[in-house]
Amino acid sequence: MHILGEKLKEVLFAVLPITVIVLILSFTIVPLEPILILRFLLGALLIIGGLAIFLFGVDIGVTPIGNLMGSTIAKTNRIWLVGLSGLLLGFFISIAEPDLHILAGQVDSVTSGLIGKFYLVIIVSLGIGALLAQGLLRIVNNINLGKTFTLLYAIIFVLALYTSPEYLAIAFDASGATTGALTVPFILALGVGVSVLKKDSEASEEDSFGLLGMASAGVIIAVLLAGIRAKNLVITGSLEAKVTASASLLAPFLEQLPVITREALYALLPLVVIFLLFQRIAFKLSKKTAQRITKGLLYTFIGLVLFLTGANAGFMDVGSIIGYSLTAGGNKLFVVIVGFVLGVVTVLAEPAVYVLTHQVEDVTSGYVKRRLVLVALSLGVGSAVALALLKIIVPGIQLWHYLLPGYIISVVMTFFVPPLFVGIAFDSGGVASGPMTATFILAFSQGVAEATAGADVLLDGFGTIAMVALTPLIALQVLGLIYKVKTVKGGIEADDE
Amino acid sequence: MTNSPSPGEYQLLYIIVNCGLGSKVIRYAKEQGLTTGATVIIGKGTVNDRLLEFLGLTEIRKEIVIMVTERAKAFRALEEIGRKFQLHKPHTGIGFCIAVKYFFRGLKHPGENLEESRGEEEAMPEDSMYDAIFVIVDRGKAEAVIDAASKAGSKGGTIIHARGSGIHETSKLFAMEIEPEKEVVLILAEKNLTDPIVSTIREELQIDKPGKGIIFIQAVDRAYGLYK
Repeated sequence: MHILGEKLKEVLFAVLPITVIVLILSFTIVPLEPILILRFLLGALLIIGGLAIFLFGVDIGVTPIGNLMGSTIAKTNRIWLVGLSGLLLGFFISIAEPDLHILAGQVDSVTSGLIGKFYLVIIVSLGIGALLAQGLLRIVNNINLGKTFTLLYAIIFVLALYTSPEYLAIAFDASGATTGALTVPFILALGVGVSVLKKDSEASEEDSFGLLGMASAGVIIAVLLAGIRAKNLVITGSLEAKVTASASLLAPFLEQLPVITREALYALLPLVVIFLLFQRIAFKLSKKTAQRITKGLLYTFIGLVLFLTGANAGFMDVGSIIGYSLTAGGNKLFVVIVGFVLGVVTVLAEPAVYVLTHQVEDVTSGYVKRRLVLVALSLGVGSAVALALLKIIVPGIQLWHYLLPGYIISVVMTFFVPPLFVGIAFDSGGVASGPMTATFILAFSQGVAEATAGADVLLDGFGTIAMVALTPLIALQVLGLIYKVKTVKGGIEADDE
Repeated sequence: MTNSPSPGEYQLLYIIVNCGLGSKVIRYAKEQGLTTGATVIIGKGTVNDRLLEFLGLTEIRKEIVIMVTERAKAFRALEEIGRKFQLHKPHTGIGFCIAVKYFFRGLKHPGENLEESRGEEEAMPEDSMYDAIFVIVDRGKAEAVIDAASKAGSKGGTIIHARGSGIHETSKLFAMEIEPEKEVVLILAEKNLTDPIVSTIREELQIDKPGKGIIFIQAVDRAYGLYK
């Protein structure tokens, strides 16, 4: 039973910090109704259980499928097949992603139908597919990752010139939102699966990461392209107030459960189909292994449902109420500080963070320590939330004031940072902006916006996820630079040559 | 090649613990006076539990720590590590020692130039026809090791990805030791080929210089699957 205890300990370490911080807040400066606190605690419990089960599922279900897919694709040794499978995989996995549908629905309503929901879903899925294919081809053809990202973000920059600032926020948010809880582990595993085949071990390690970062860039490009078609669009409308002041403890959970079950089912479906299909034609795994993977997929499903139910029903209201009362309380600086702390603890509870940090440890045999990656991510996301709140509170600041210098720094850094860390960093952008950010942090910043005079809940709410997706790029590359400087041999004379 | 002042017999120390403890074992071993450096390989262990087996949770990540050191030190360290990490309890880990025939590494002080140790060869079993040559080098150098070995007549080799800290690598990052990535190359060779293989590797990878890697050789009692 040791193995269960281990995982539980790990998950507790992930979820307890945010729980404790919120409880401290609720007993000191932001008094919450008892029913809300109870609901929050129930949510935390579901999240802990759900996360543990989900991570087991990813370990024995999703990751093996991704690895196998990657190896199978690369072994075909045909460039067009690699590209085609990347395109198809990316397309089908993202078209089923519930987060993408939610985002597309929002865009549809704020642009008054100018950018239709269906149209956006298709174009984003194509974007992910195309860039996933590019990413796989990049690994196979040994193209430098830093240069690839420089090119991609140069394209994004040019496209961004042609869009309105509000729409820009939507596009960058989309990159974080659409790489959901299931897509992320799968794409991460896919990258490793392809690159382990490389004979050159150094290149193999460096190429294990970066695929997810490319998919994220694909989303931004796709959404921006969709926006250019509707160049003079006016962003109007407001988010319907969905504060359900339910007095019941369980009702919100029971309301959420069927919705989330359906969404999780949709999200998992492409993976199941892909697995069954490839098991038939290519993998031909032994019955025992296939059974294990099937079990893994089942765990993934159960875990995801529990986790999302807990996050949506237990954390969302609390997030927005804390944000609202804090801001209404007056001290703006304090709001930013609390935002930083919440950002630091929230990212720990992101499911994909666990998948990424474990993978980093696996691929580097523990050279890059999990704890350090977590610290870098936490600091990055903490400052992201703080900056995003600052933008809401101070009217003059626009999102692009952050994004432009932020991405310029990230891209310039790729030239100095070891390639391994470039890949990890660009992947971590999509990893950090997962379901916890989308529920808790987003609700929190919307609460802050609501209480700020002159801030638009909708427009200022957009952009928070974009920030969470940006800062890890810098934070992890800084970590890479530190590693680069520190990994030197001491005590040897310099006259080696 | 000079024999080191007190050759003693060298031992290869294996400690297999749960993931995350590897670095702690190394730090503790260093505190105990093992100065030879250590290498960590990530592996997967199994669990023996019906329920977990039913659930499909049968893999657990382990870290394998290997260190080469003098016999007396190795036994003492094994004892100490066993006590400190409570290896006598179930589900914690295991530790064991295997004799090493030769051990090469570069030394800091040019005077000593090279430390070489020779085990008691008479003690080796009569039918030991093969040697297992372990070469631990920096990440990316394994190909060169195998190339060098093939030149001297080796039939192939196995590369194991690992991390480790030698005596020259002691930089820290927020109180955490950085353990750079290594590659362990395992070559099985007939006994009469061992010397040429080892000397070619030593030459081409400059093992005799400090910080370039280590080589150790163990006797193999039986070997199958090697073609001639």
